Amino acid sequence: MNFGYTPEEEQFRKRLKEFLDKEMTEEIARQNWEDLGVGSEAREFSKKLYENGFLGLPWPKEYGGQEMSPTYDFILIDELGKRWGAHVPLDVGYTMVGHTILRRGSEEQKKEFIPRIVRGEIEFGLGYTEPNAGSDLASMMMKAEEKEDYFLINGQKTFNTESHYADYHWLAARTESNPDKPKYKGISLFIVDQRAPGIDIRPMITMSDERTNEVYYDDVKVPKSRLVGEKNKGFYYIMEAIDSERNHVFAPARLWPIVDDLVAYVKETSYQGKSLAEDPFVQNKIAWMAIELEVAQMLADNARWLELNELPITMEPEITKVYLSELEQRMVDDAMQILGLYGQLEENSKYTACRGRIEWYYRHSFMPTIGAGTSEIGRNVIAQRGLGLPRG
Amino acid sequence: MDFNFTDEQNMLRESARGFCEKMSPMDFVLEMEKDEKGYTPELWNGMAELGWMGLIIPEEYGGIGLGFLDLIVLLEEMGRMCVPGPYFSTVVCGALAIMNAGNEDQKTEYLPKIAGGELVFSLALTEPCMTRYDPACISVSANKNGDDYVINGTKLFVNDAHAADFIICVARTGGVIDAKEGITLFIVDAKAPGITITPLKTLGGDKQAEVVFENVKVPATQVLGEVGAAWPVIEKVFQYAAVGKCAEMAGGAMRVLELALDYCHQRVQFGKPIGMFQAVQHLCANMAINLNGSKFITYKTSWMLDEGTPCMAQVAATKAWVSQAYKKFVILGHQVFAGTGFMVEHEMPMYSRRARAAELAFGDINYHCAVMAKEMDLS
Repeated sequence: MNFGYTPEEEQFRKRLKEFLDKEMTEEIARQNWEDLGVGSEAREFSKKLYENGFLGLPWPKEYGGQEMSPTYDFILIDELGKRWGAHVPLDVGYTMVGHTILRRGSEEQKKEFIPRIVRGEIEFGLGYTEPNAGSDLASMMMKAEEKEDYFLINGQKTFNTESHYADYHWLAARTESNPDKPKYKGISLFIVDQRAPGIDIRPMITMSDERTNEVYYDDVKVPKSRLVGEKNKGFYYIMEAIDSERNHVFAPARLWPIVDDLVAYVKETSYQGKSLAEDPFVQNKIAWMAIELEVAQMLADNARWLELNELPITMEPEITKVYLSELEQRMVDDAMQILGLYGQLEENSKYTACRGRIEWYYRHSFMPTIGAGTSEIGRNVIAQRGLGLPRG
Repeated sequence: MDFNFTDEQNMLRESARGFCEKMSPMDFVLEMEKDEKGYTPELWNGMAELGWMGLIIPEEYGGIGLGFLDLIVLLEEMGRMCVPGPYFSTVVCGALAIMNAGNEDQKTEYLPKIAGGELVFSLALTEPCMTRYDPACISVSANKNGDDYVINGTKLFVNDAHAADFIICVARTGGVIDAKEGITLFIVDAKAPGITITPLKTLGGDKQAEVVFENVKVPATQVLGEVGAAWPVIEKVFQYAAVGKCAEMAGGAMRVLELALDYCHQRVQFGKPIGMFQAVQHLCANMAINLNGSKFITYKTSWMLDEGTPCMAQVAATKAWVSQAYKKFVILGHQVFAGTGFMVEHEMPMYSRRARAAELAFGDINYHCAVMAKEMDLS
């Protein structure tokens, strides 16, 4: 066993930290985190990450990468997370879609998309969920009819979070509806220009001020060259990618800023003449957050290690996801108890504590246990795929 | 990063699993709970023959000279089958204390005998004054008298004292009751006049005792380490012991999950195996989360201890979290087994009773949480 990083990896982290401390502004972090839309600042930052040798390291050389260990991407995600950064600015392309294009896409698609993903230039909107296909994703209805040299696509997607600023739509749609076949065997994946004629994007605003979207397709023509892999195999491609996606998205480091902010707050805040940092109740709650985050990091490290070494994965990324998302709720609850009355104040109040982040995080914390699969679906996966219990 | 055990460690696990399953089935563990001594010569000698007592003792002192992670493998397997006996007290507490603080004479005298299974040790640390866990809260006194020290006072919750040949007594030779200065370790003959050992009846059915020292004379040569400066040694042994307990808990959790999954496949209700119901699956999923967290943080911390990396916060996080996770774990296990697991002869109660003993040993959750807070500069 060995839980350390190599000297080269440590050197990379050191250089990255120095870069981020200088270059990553509050504005970039916000555009990144709150999904209101990655604007010019975050896009510029994304390119700088590449130019300075922090983005794209594990990718194949022929598409602009350096074929180094994916550990470098994990270090990048962790260091961004520790600075409220959540993920690389254009993360659906970089951490999700790109890998599937590399695995399943045509040579033409790889040449067209991967170099731009590696350079941090383009983003994709994830087009999976529909009003009647949430946890039961295979029930999606969005229809893609095969014509001479294109697919004609009609229907509606919902909760497509990046679509309003993404360049492309990573779309799953039904290419076969045969009632005698399982539903998941009739789904295909497409890369669609997000601004193509016939696409209508309507905002949905979340309780934590983030934007997601409904995306309507009305006779949208998508060239056949934009079908990813084989027709009707899309659901397999979605599923085979999901473990790695979880590994890249659910990074425990993202929650450390809550602890850091709280530690700073309790040290500078007094009650009845005593520092809050001396209060055993406060100490206990903050210590417990740090303890749980240490464990979350181990769960994540284990799942990452399996991925890095191409070892069989069953439940490990799902365990990280379930644990980390529920931990966010526990942490926010404890943080609000520590802040007391001040915990309810929004960001711009004169009396705001911890920059209003806890109040925002409380609103946000309802999402991770739902998004990318509910905790309940997660536990089904752990029990059935991981522990071998039978499907009901 | 590498989460793999070495081939040697896997072989050790395999051999330990076979031995523990054969020598320590549940009816034996239950019988040993009632037995005064609490283990048999066959069990103890068998472990000694396999080299377990000398696993971490350097070769020059008759051991095998392996590392702490190797010991963790063994402790997991012993925890998995609730193997009774004074192994933890003798090896994790006794041998490690002597390895860390002993002079050459003491090492030569005791370590080969521990490695050979000839000696049983017990660590007398906790006291009645520790109504909140604090290893520095030491009131038992040792006063110099000529070439001897005279020990007086009461130790409580002393593991395996009844079976011990020697008791490592943590006594105060100076300083106030909760000071880290002025604490000294003594290797005391457990049969010395003035020592009274009274077993305690405990939830875990393990062998803990009250040990009263009344004018117990100990030669000054039996001081382990420096007079008045034992704290760093205690801290170190305490760290190993706390993490070692976590390995036992993780091992217990492995076993409970195995048994629960078997039961999920076998037990039929409403015409289906209960493992088919999502409500039951989610109990098992929660167990898997707790198990993985327990294992991985224990492994990482053990690795840090082996590497000599300072890891005070990491040890505290490990003992606090694993104790908490294991408590939740056994509740989930009981929920899967329902009525059948409530019966005294079932495996489940053994694990749920011992979960509390392990939680309380070598720093409870509150204690380690406070250490963590201190390490985070909250005070």
